[in-house]
Amino acid sequence: MWTTDRIGGSALCLLAVLVMWESRSLPLGSWRNPGPGYFPVLLAVILLVLGGLVWAMGGGAALIAAVGWGEARQAVIILAVCVFICLGLERLGYRLTMLAALLFLVWLVERRSFVTAAAFAFALAFGTYYLFDTLLRVPLPRGPFNV
Amino acid sequence: MTRLRLVLLPLLSIVAVAIAQPVAAQEPYPSRPISLVVPFPPGGVADLTARPVAGAMEKVLKQPVGVVNKTGAAGAVGMQFVATSKPDGYTLLLALSSISIIPEADKLFGRPPAFTVDQFAPVALISADPTILVVRAESPWKTAKEFIDDAKKRPGQISFSSSGIYGTLHMAMELLSNAAGIKLRHVPYGGAGPALTALLGGHVDALASGPAVVLPQIKAGKLRALAGWGDKRVAALPEIPTFKELGYPEAEFYIWAGLFAPKGTPEPVLAKLREAARVGVADPEFKSAMDKLETPITFKQGAEFQKFFETDAHRLAEGVRKVGRIEQK
Amino acid sequence: MAETLQNLGLGFSIALQPAVLLYAFVGCVVGTLVGVLPGVGPLAGISLLLPATFGLTATNAIVMLAGIYYGAMYGGSTTSILMRIPGEAASVMTCIDGYAMARKGRAGAALAIAAIGSFVAGTVSVVALMLLAPPLASFALRFGPPEYFALLLLGLLVLAYMSGGSMVKSLAMAVLGLLLGMIGIDQMSGYFRFSYGIVELGDGLGVVPIAVGLFGIAEVLATAGQEVPPQVLKPKLRDLLPSRQEWRDSVMPIGRGTVLGFLIGIIPGSAHIISSFVSYAVERRLSRHPEEFGQGAVAGVAGPESANNSATSGAFVPMLALGVPSGPIPAVMLAALMVHGVSPGPLLIKEQPELFWGFIASMYVGNLMLLALNLPMVGIFVNVLRVPYSLLYPSIIMFCVVGVYAVNGSVVDVGIAIVMGALGYILRKLGFETAPIVLGAILAPMIELALRQSLAMSDGQYTIFVSRPISGTLLAFGAALVLLNLVSWMARGLDWRRRIPLDEKGENS
Repeated sequence: MWTTDRIGGSALCLLAVLVMWESRSLPLGSWRNPGPGYFPVLLAVILLVLGGLVWAMGGGAALIAAVGWGEARQAVIILAVCVFICLGLERLGYRLTMLAALLFLVWLVERRSFVTAAAFAFALAFGTYYLFDTLLRVPLPRGPFNV
Repeated sequence: MTRLRLVLLPLLSIVAVAIAQPVAAQEPYPSRPISLVVPFPPGGVADLTARPVAGAMEKVLKQPVGVVNKTGAAGAVGMQFVATSKPDGYTLLLALSSISIIPEADKLFGRPPAFTVDQFAPVALISADPTILVVRAESPWKTAKEFIDDAKKRPGQISFSSSGIYGTLHMAMELLSNAAGIKLRHVPYGGAGPALTALLGGHVDALASGPAVVLPQIKAGKLRALAGWGDKRVAALPEIPTFKELGYPEAEFYIWAGLFAPKGTPEPVLAKLREAARVGVADPEFKSAMDKLETPITFKQGAEFQKFFETDAHRLAEGVRKVGRIEQK
Repeated sequence: MAETLQNLGLGFSIALQPAVLLYAFVGCVVGTLVGVLPGVGPLAGISLLLPATFGLTATNAIVMLAGIYYGAMYGGSTTSILMRIPGEAASVMTCIDGYAMARKGRAGAALAIAAIGSFVAGTVSVVALMLLAPPLASFALRFGPPEYFALLLLGLLVLAYMSGGSMVKSLAMAVLGLLLGMIGIDQMSGYFRFSYGIVELGDGLGVVPIAVGLFGIAEVLATAGQEVPPQVLKPKLRDLLPSRQEWRDSVMPIGRGTVLGFLIGIIPGSAHIISSFVSYAVERRLSRHPEEFGQGAVAGVAGPESANNSATSGAFVPMLALGVPSGPIPAVMLAALMVHGVSPGPLLIKEQPELFWGFIASMYVGNLMLLALNLPMVGIFVNVLRVPYSLLYPSIIMFCVVGVYAVNGSVVDVGIAIVMGALGYILRKLGFETAPIVLGAILAPMIELALRQSLAMSDGQYTIFVSRPISGTLLAFGAALVLLNLVSWMARGLDWRRRIPLDEKGENS
């Protein structure tokens, strides 16, 4: 019953309805003079139809449980690290954030030795900072104490 | 691997992130590099004006003045950034006349404004590019009068391109339309470049443009200038009258570039910045850079700039309100 | 012709000067680097180095900036092939078949074909630029909003050919991409759509965060946690070069990609990114083995890579012949010219022959330099695959973040990429293709703007699309394509129905 296509199709239909709801404040305009709401609503309608089709034709797809989710736990951890990077980039500065993130991934998640992890993280974080900030003149955020 | 270890480090880090505060400096101004934020992409009018300004001010302030492009939303992103940054004189803004337009447009649509003009303390005006009205060389209008008369006869038939709705090039035309009592058809494009391409390709009939980009086209005989929106005639086009001379003094519009600081910047810092700007624009290297860009230097500061800014802002706000929201029929 | 050769001689005499050679080389190296780094594309690279060119002569400045532009097209394929991360938006299509080739142990071959294709396309398109610039430019100017709309509509049809698998699911992904492209300021009316007060979303999500997130970050999320890390067959030295068969398979795609890319590039305003998408679809349509696409078809690498290189030369046509910026990158280069006191305009070629011909000649030289840079590096790049995956994927994440951040200096972009990464991961698990999303996100704002501008121009009359010759032709072409497909689809259906009774009766009728 719960196949991948069924879930995908229902999600798309849900999204389509959401878009239509969010567009309610945008004027639709007319056929001759489409307003800002015209295309989003049109696309949402098409998406609703397509989502419905995917759902309807989805009986034969793989069951959601059968699609191996083995790597999901690690994926979530990596995603959390990415969120941390995003939040920390402008508060802690590039070098510290990357150092922490890389150290975490290589030492704790991938279980390599602390020395390898620290050396790797340090080299990569500071090395790329040098590459970008100094050589390529792309300003990267600095954190407290101008690090 | 214990679950504790996995959870501990991210928790610690998030705590660290939450309490991290930048360290404040308490030395005489300026004691560290200054950022001049340009809310437009590199290569545009604002950017090309900002770089010589930064270079000239650097010489006076004896600290590096770095140009930082913070682009997005027709300038709103960069402007909002400076409006909300610390008023310590280390973050400055080089804005174009659109700084007055964006908050008005926001009000029009009933959304909370990205920033307001009072969040800035004006430092100095650097340049004021008068816009000029150009049409293709093959078009039937040889003078501005012919153009306006034709527009009166055929309201809504003559089209013009612009760099975007409520943008500087659009507002220039709107000011003219209000002053001359004509109605033109507006086709917005995504930038000054595409707007010019559209005119050259014959897809629209007219364009209000800064002089620098269209001068080569005029010289090559592809475009014809009809009139200018400035107070005085453009130096490179002495035969082209201004709208003021033609009897439309309300159609005065400049794409000006000015230096701003966040409101609340201490007065001594502002005074130092003004001085730096004043000396900077007199610098011969700066002058030659602006000459290459065909942009006349129009330096105003203090009360003079304040007055210019307020008059201009008022004019533009009126214009935006008159345009109103484009009603969808 | 003789005059052209003479001018070319003048050009080479300038291009081969040591200073000019040096700057071309610097441009090419930086361009390759910029292309290899995920996210940071040629626009970012050129914008960043623009201030550095202020102290140089006009010729040196433009030679260097151009080197960055087409160099990035060479470098962009590297990470696409090795790690399925687009080096820049135009290399998204190479991720698909290029990475599949790498998985089969043909990484070296893929890299080599990409390099050679880029070289051929780059060189041939410079010749075209040199000979055809002025007439082509005038033609290109006649592309107005109705023509764009017709062209982009054809581009949408391309979406139908982009991936295998269920057509309905691919279309749904395309529509999803189109919707994502709706986020931002509506240029016709000034309304902010779906931006929820975040000012940075005013310009939309951005191609780079979407592409890097959907391909790069999603790839890491999907493969990092697997029990057995991805086994990429380590190629031996002789496997580094493409086989005879692979060479033969790549000739026609390279040729077609070159022509297609150049034509798309000259149209002012069209994102040259589209050239690689269109090339991929064309190759897939014309291939005798379309089922190979997605599993490592040589044409899927050769075509798009050639197309995006010749599109860069195409983009120079309106810029040099008319002084009109045909896109953000030529706009920055025009600005560079202005800063040096060279006023770009229709008279540029006449007034500044040394600049123009020196520039052209240096493009020939530059392409040669890039070939010399990239081919030997194939061996080095392939060794990246030997790095243990547990060290590789954190670096990939870091490069993705830096690349995306570097474009606008905005953390919001990084956030978008991460969200798209999570989305891409989920979509992969559910069996949906992600490439159509990127194309949809690029096309959506352009198509909508073109349609509404056309209607503004014609005051609401839809006849404008057929009354103008170019758009009318394009639309007719598109309609013909759709009809052809419907017919062949129905015919296949008929065949199938006819075949069953035959089988049952067990005899031919």
